Amino acid sequence: MMIERELLERYVAAELPGQRWFGANAVTGIEAVQEIEGKLTQVIVRGDDGSRYQTVLGVRDDGLLVDATTDHDLALSLLHQAMPDEDAAKVRPLGVEQSNTSLVFDERLVFKLFRRLPDGRNPDVEVTSALADLGFEHVIAPLGTWRDDDADFAIVNELLLSSTDGWQLAMTSLRDLYDRRCPPEEAPADFGFEAERLGRVTAQLHEALSEAFPVGDADVDSWIDDMEAQLERVSLPDDLAPAARAVYEAVRSVDVGPAFRIHGDYHLGQTLLTDLGWYVLDFEGEPARPVAERRRPSSPLRDVAGMVRSFHYAAEAALRQVGSEDEEDRRLAGAWERHVAERFLAGYEGYEPLERLLPPTETRPVVQRAFELDKAVYEVGYETAHRPDWVGIPLAAVRRLLAEA
Amino acid sequence: MSPRRKPKPPRLDDNPRWFQTSMFYEVLVRGYHDSDNDGTGDFRGLTEKLDYIQWLGVDCIWLVPFYSSPLRDGGYDISDYFNVLPEYGTIGDVAQFLEEAHHRSIRVIADLVVNHTSDQHPWFQESRQNRTNPKADWYVWDDDGTKWSEARIIFLDTEPSNWTWDPMREQFFWHRFFSHQPDLNFDNPDVQDAMLDVLRFWLDLGLDGFRLDAVPYLYERDGTNGENLKETHEFLKRLRAEIDAGYPNKVLLAEANQWPADVVEYFGDGDECHMCFHFPVMPRMFMAARREQRTPITEILAQTPDIPDGCQWGIFLRNHDELTLEMVTDDERDYMYGEYAKDPRMKLNLGIRRRLFPLLDNNERLVELFHGMLFSLPGSPILYYGDEIGMGDNIYLGDRDGVRTPMQWTPDRNAGFSRADFERLYLPVLMDPVYGYQVVNVESQLRDSSSFLHWLQRMIEVRKQHAQVFGLGSFDIIHCENPSVLAFVRQYTDPETGERDMVLCANNLSRFAQPAELMMSTYDGLVPHELLGRVTFPRIGELPYFITLPPHGFFWFQLVEDGP
Repeated sequence: MMIERELLERYVAAELPGQRWFGANAVTGIEAVQEIEGKLTQVIVRGDDGSRYQTVLGVRDDGLLVDATTDHDLALSLLHQAMPDEDAAKVRPLGVEQSNTSLVFDERLVFKLFRRLPDGRNPDVEVTSALADLGFEHVIAPLGTWRDDDADFAIVNELLLSSTDGWQLAMTSLRDLYDRRCPPEEAPADFGFEAERLGRVTAQLHEALSEAFPVGDADVDSWIDDMEAQLERVSLPDDLAPAARAVYEAVRSVDVGPAFRIHGDYHLGQTLLTDLGWYVLDFEGEPARPVAERRRPSSPLRDVAGMVRSFHYAAEAALRQVGSEDEEDRRLAGAWERHVAERFLAGYEGYEPLERLLPPTETRPVVQRAFELDKAVYEVGYETAHRPDWVGIPLAAVRRLLAEA
Repeated sequence: MSPRRKPKPPRLDDNPRWFQTSMFYEVLVRGYHDSDNDGTGDFRGLTEKLDYIQWLGVDCIWLVPFYSSPLRDGGYDISDYFNVLPEYGTIGDVAQFLEEAHHRSIRVIADLVVNHTSDQHPWFQESRQNRTNPKADWYVWDDDGTKWSEARIIFLDTEPSNWTWDPMREQFFWHRFFSHQPDLNFDNPDVQDAMLDVLRFWLDLGLDGFRLDAVPYLYERDGTNGENLKETHEFLKRLRAEIDAGYPNKVLLAEANQWPADVVEYFGDGDECHMCFHFPVMPRMFMAARREQRTPITEILAQTPDIPDGCQWGIFLRNHDELTLEMVTDDERDYMYGEYAKDPRMKLNLGIRRRLFPLLDNNERLVELFHGMLFSLPGSPILYYGDEIGMGDNIYLGDRDGVRTPMQWTPDRNAGFSRADFERLYLPVLMDPVYGYQVVNVESQLRDSSSFLHWLQRMIEVRKQHAQVFGLGSFDIIHCENPSVLAFVRQYTDPETGERDMVLCANNLSRFAQPAELMMSTYDGLVPHELLGRVTFPRIGELPYFITLPPHGFFWFQLVEDGP
């Protein structure tokens, strides 16, 4: 059934700004409206942040115009856009999500409706499909997609039963550690073993990415420009900025190795331990950055740096959960982070085919330190804006990295 | 002549698939109860304790070898297949034991070692005389003693080679286990026939089946590791066909310590063994508990293939052997040694020789969780004598004797096991302050209504009420974000009555309380009834179902349709 344009306009203006996934403050205009099988209406709007957003509406049995993801029958019609032959008795939303909306059908299929539509293909669909086509086993291959020539609207994945994300596993390990107070490698719930497996999978991921996408020379100058621009945006305590700049500058004069498509927003929350080993999720890159930039080739060490930063966050977050100010626990947190990072790197660097994709061993620490610092600086900015209580975590990392340099 | 005693009628149901829903209990005749006070348990002593075993809820007793033997390997070195070790009693004692067990609706299976005999067996004594005697080819002889080097050595700690020189015959003989246990030559049809005679003899006496010891190693072939060969499977099919033809309701349980994908071969197409042990799941339960994480368990279950109709896994926590770590990776083995064998004396071959309670730090809550999982995962549970009261081990005894000490019945002399002089006991009873018989014994736990023994007896009773669903039901993992929580649903519909039984099991592998959001939208509308107390829990809806699990806690819920 055709929904009147005027109703649509009123609906999106009133409803969208309240949605978690809507990053703008207001709708500036409707870009496209598409009727689907007389049941659904896909509406693409532009927000006052310049981004395009997607919503799919439908009319419920009681005559109300609603978001199609909130109604059982409409949701099933949505699923049919990606997988016409599937049927499902039950549907539920998948927890809290920031940038997309996911539905679980029969505890079997995960339907993810993209909310913010980039210009061009969705990087997550693009990368995941390319890796799956290569036969890479550590991504969740899409079972179906809903797209047109220009954009990806939705994707369907298998729900991996009994899987757990890396962040939760790290928390389990740390809980055990702070209770037992023994060296982390001796703790029964040691995360080292899993970290090493994850390191190896990360290495295989980079190898696969280098096969699926072009490998070229690194544009070191633009990397450093980006990092310095980041530094400008974030207010570090004054004594730190010059030292940080020096760490970035050091990269200019060393061999940084080749550049290719990377994950781009790699951390524990983007990994999933399943009965078949580790999986890597969500190749959308940092959502705050433009898609063109997210697609830009970079060094695989940027992903490594992201994961290492994530270990630090995990140790500190668990410490906050325990509520401990104890010196001993603080020492344990540091020991856990070092131990897990070591095992992760052992798994990563121990994967020999990767050697040709990395900088030489001598310059590797210089490059990785710069990326870790850049990430920590970004985190300082993020925490200052969103969670001022937490700013101490990345700030401590910045100081530590500078001291090491 | 005294009038012949009237035989007691058996009370066994006529069900060829009884083993799929049974609770097994492994017993050492030697270690259970001594009726004649010679320091060694015997069949009459075991018969005296049948009431206890029946009270516990056991459906089937598994006896380790009780045949004539020089006892250099706990009776797994048989020197006469048709006789009972004199210390254990007579064939008549066995017959009476079987009659009394059957009268109590308890079946009995026994270990049978087909792969090898003792070097004291007359067959071997004859075979080694020279190269031309009638039994010359009953064992595996060779001049060289170097071939088949691909076959691994199983008893790494004691055996340098699978070949041993025999000075009488002046040839090497092949043995996959101890050098006093020569392997029989199954390429010889006479050996096959002799073994079938052994089976028939015991089935005629009333045994309900066999645990086939060390079954993957029957044959040797060039260029192979001598395990799981097709000839071995052919012989097992022959054995099964013979049993099916003449003996209804019997069971063959294979001991094949292999990866699940290889073990399933021993089910054949439902025409080899009825049951196989699932070895790898057990060490992974220990790993999962230490890591407070379900993945080690779900991983191995995901790698376990479906089994043919009419077959069943045998699962266990501990048994008379070491906790074997052959079926784990090197990393995992190091981990297990680090966590569970802190004293090097606890290691043996590729395993850890300890009992259940010491392995779990005497943590009763954790032991309960382990039984909760044992009773609800796919397979028939097999308990080990003494674990029902929390017996410990004695790691200062040699080989695997530390986990084979006398059953602790009472706080009296020799734990009520025997009235012999202490020095005469086949192994000393445990006397340490934690696990000693003064503290840990059946009598005191029977008297204490909140003891572990009573808890276990109650759990067995509850499982029996749902034996179909736990024994035969489908197994579906329930998704839960919390890595410490292992949740699954078992479901079974009786093909005759159409009645459906569904049980949700949720286990907390952590020593801390855990929240669990169970993704159960597909069970929308069902109402969980807790199985022990029959307490009704809130109805399951479309949203995740939330429960709180205490440290190392677990719940069993029957899922029932919402009543009117």
